[in-house]
Amino acid sequence: MNDEQTRARFEGLMVPLMDDAYNLARWLMKNEEDAEDVVQESYLKAFRFFAGFHTGANARGWLLQIVRNTCYTALGARNRQEPLFELEIGQIEDTAPGPRANLETKATVEMVREAISTLPVEYREVVVLRELEGLAYKEIAEVVGIPIGTVMSRLSRARDQLCLILRDGEGNPQL
Amino acid sequence: MKCEECQDFIDAYVDNELDTAAVIPIRRHLRDCPKCRQLLEARKGLRTLLDQPQLRFDVPASLRAKVLSALPAASPDRKPWVQTRTVAPWFLVPLALAAALVLVFGLAFLRKGGVRGPSQDGTLVAQVISSHVRSLLATHLLDVPSTDQHTVKPWFAGKLEFSPPVQDFAEHGFSLIGGRLDYVDGREVAALVYRRKQHLINLFIWPSESNRATALQNFTENGYNTLHWDQRGFSFWAVSDVQTEDLRALAALEMQPL
Repeated sequence: MNDEQTRARFEGLMVPLMDDAYNLARWLMKNEEDAEDVVQESYLKAFRFFAGFHTGANARGWLLQIVRNTCYTALGARNRQEPLFELEIGQIEDTAPGPRANLETKATVEMVREAISTLPVEYREVVVLRELEGLAYKEIAEVVGIPIGTVMSRLSRARDQLCLILRDGEGNPQL
Repeated sequence: MKCEECQDFIDAYVDNELDTAAVIPIRRHLRDCPKCRQLLEARKGLRTLLDQPQLRFDVPASLRAKVLSALPAASPDRKPWVQTRTVAPWFLVPLALAAALVLVFGLAFLRKGGVRGPSQDGTLVAQVISSHVRSLLATHLLDVPSTDQHTVKPWFAGKLEFSPPVQDFAEHGFSLIGGRLDYVDGREVAALVYRRKQHLINLFIWPSESNRATALQNFTENGYNTLHWDQRGFSFWAVSDVQTEDLRALAALEMQPL
């Protein structure tokens, strides 16, 4: 395969996945600028290592794994004051209780986004991969590099926390 | 089935990740247990909240064009080595490096008629450089991504037969970003990853044969610098594309009294 064919194949397979790549990066990095940088860097890496990608393999999982690892490297460098693995308790307490009756979609979307973004990054990534990207546990395990059992327990704890936050903040008694 | 067990599997249950054999006892338990049924309802309520496409962030229109234009052109006009590293299959790089180094150091050895000494290091240089290159392939840089030396050091316990010294030198411009297990010279070794500005440094550590400290030895190959020394019973190999002076600075920090 010559260079042009390689590039065409890369563009055909990987560029349509940019929505997923950006969504994951945006959720992990928590801001647009860093997310864009991560996506750019990830695509360069993906292109460089594209020869190691086998036809028929899970293109989305492959790309998201690169994006996820690039995020972690960037997060490690970005803010050393912000521990990656500690629950940001302050943020949860700061979540102002929303008006009970306000269940307009837009408000709900903002509240749910807020709730997800207060999760520690290791919980946030499994929530985003499962709920927003719709990945199976096995795919999540590959992207994050953890056993399936750990996917299950992290997801479970992440959802417990989301229920807590949203129940307190939004008046969702069913949670 | 007990409630704890049911709660452990409730997420896999709502996500349809369980096989039929596992589903049956959970269903039976849910029928009989109002408390667990409440949990199930809460999970379903949460799923409704999360099942909104607007929660996703849309990719900015400009990013697509930026990414495409940043990709290397089909026939880049670069120096051959750089071009090879950019578009050739990545696994050829360490192979070619290893082959070149084995040749160079192998011949040097034959002439001297020695079997031990620097030639050993020659193979090692190739090995640590190829480990460094492999680690940058995005999929396996860090097993334990943490900037906290007190998280990284215990992580190695139980995975290695030795306990590598782990220090963060962020205030000196070498930020610890994590560690991983690697395999060099036929043994499992600790690899610590430091960030120096925009560059990554792998510091490979394993027990040395003797306790004596050695002078710094520097090898440069194809744009990668390596620096090797022994101290306090450990062998250190720092590998990166940063300047040798930076690696020397890192070595000096490592050599400070604990």
